[in-house]
Amino acid sequence: MPIDYQQIYEKIQEIGKGARERKKTLEERRAKARELLSAYASQLDVLHTKVDSAKALDPNIRCAYPLDESLASSHPAPDSAIQATLIAADGSQINPDRHAAVQFGLINVGAITMKLNSGEAPGISTESELLFGEELLPNGIPMSEGMVALKRDLSERTMLDDLSRGISGQVVTFTDGPIELWGAKGEDAASYEDFVKKYLGVLSRLQTRDVITAGYVDKPSADLVVRLLEIASADNEQIQKLREFHPLRGVSDRWLFGERENPLLPPGHRSAVFKIQSSSEKRYTGVLTLHFFYLNVGTEGHPWPVRVEIPRWVVDDKAKLDLLHAVLVEQCRMMGSRPYPYLLHRAHETAVVKNEEKQQIEQMLSMELRKNNEDVDDGSYKQSAKDLQGRTRR
Amino acid sequence: MTDQIEIGRLLRAGTTGFIAGCRVNQLDAPSFGALVRAPLGGGYQIFGIIYDIHIDDDGLVRQLVTADNVSDEVMKDNRERRIVPVEMSVLAVGYEQDGKIFHLLPPRPPLSLDVIYLCDEQDMARFTKRFGYFRHILNSQDVPVGEVIAAHIQHACVAHEDKAWKEKATHEVITLLRDDYPTLMAVLGALNDVSV
Repeated sequence: MPIDYQQIYEKIQEIGKGARERKKTLEERRAKARELLSAYASQLDVLHTKVDSAKALDPNIRCAYPLDESLASSHPAPDSAIQATLIAADGSQINPDRHAAVQFGLINVGAITMKLNSGEAPGISTESELLFGEELLPNGIPMSEGMVALKRDLSERTMLDDLSRGISGQVVTFTDGPIELWGAKGEDAASYEDFVKKYLGVLSRLQTRDVITAGYVDKPSADLVVRLLEIASADNEQIQKLREFHPLRGVSDRWLFGERENPLLPPGHRSAVFKIQSSSEKRYTGVLTLHFFYLNVGTEGHPWPVRVEIPRWVVDDKAKLDLLHAVLVEQCRMMGSRPYPYLLHRAHETAVVKNEEKQQIEQMLSMELRKNNEDVDDGSYKQSAKDLQGRTRR
Repeated sequence: MTDQIEIGRLLRAGTTGFIAGCRVNQLDAPSFGALVRAPLGGGYQIFGIIYDIHIDDDGLVRQLVTADNVSDEVMKDNRERRIVPVEMSVLAVGYEQDGKIFHLLPPRPPLSLDVIYLCDEQDMARFTKRFGYFRHILNSQDVPVGEVIAAHIQHACVAHEDKAWKEKATHEVITLLRDDYPTLMAVLGALNDVSV
């Protein structure tokens, strides 16, 4: 049966009726957030104390931790980058599918290297890793989609490390999404730890060679600065129960820095740099400590704040921070009305694995196994029923 | 023997014509109205005339044209690295079998990825010695007849030592189109603009 649109319609009507009330609440919270931002913009010591006391009660608390720039500060894009090599990497994957005839996985990473103002065509690199047999059972536990994603993230950063070797001059590398490895912690703790260890090793190598690295988060949903404001406004009692304390729920960092009528960040400007206060700070330590800033890559009247995650070695060197800032603004401007780093889009184009390619690999693998007299299972009947062609008009 | 000029590879084909694709940086060789050949081995090759050169866009290109400026690196990336081939539509006008030229439709079309070459002056002179292939151009529904004939005659007359070749070709067109006044006028109008 198709969707019961009658039921859906009724729910949509209800949602519509609540719109006015929701808008009123959100506007009140936004006004409060603006007020708190103005009040605490320069009170960095107070904010540090508040976050430190919250952290003492809950070390997993996740929020922005200001450094030495005012919360409301905005920094214009530095002059255009003249000499630098940019490398962007992106990955895609085929997750093992228990309904398929053959169990396999694939990590495909694409990268693109562009020398600014060289007039040269960029270089394209692809690395494809097929996962089969025991490789799908690290520590005897079937590899989950989350684990494949972790492996992909590690491969992306490793490729940036490999490609940046031997390049003279400044090198700026970036990937789509946060720098921090995410997810799958609980599924296979040993494998997770192994991935994190390798990942930190790659980040260290990039740092040793002075390579700038960043994670570009488009349309970020984590409201780290708003959470900082909530913590700032909490009294002693509220701070004890921070997990339930969300007076600014619904207000986003994107709105705070990119309000359409009155954006805190003019086009091309970045926000203050913040440290990421979270449970991951135990892993990312010293020069690898994770930081971020917001960057308005939009245009006049169309602000579009994105979050840029960087390690501390980039924060500590103003020239590197400025170069990254300039590069990202320029990369986004290249894409015209929908700003997004050109090279990240190209890396995605290079890396993306289509469904036909998945089927081709499955076919090649099945043929090779059969050729060598190994039994090949059938695909599940459930999958075969799903693949049946729907009714078509003749 | 001059060097062979490769202009692309075959994308798809039929008996009456084929589509070849090439990278944008190969685009300086082929031109509208040029005679091309697809050698298939065994003394068999197909001749055709380019009647359309087509450059497709895609989402990224559409977005890039809205940007204020596009750097040289991005331009080269899109022209040399991205998989968006330039497509050339070719009208089949004859073939060669064991050294003999036929102005008939080829018995078999070329196959995917066959290399397509630009005809040199020697091939051009051999193929265009007679005008039997004109009927393929004049009968084609999808071809801008006048413009293709004019462009082709402009290319071909350079290959002939006989300076009266252009005049003979024009007479042949008039004869073939004697019962189709509107097309004849369109073709003669285009030919009038051919200056050699």
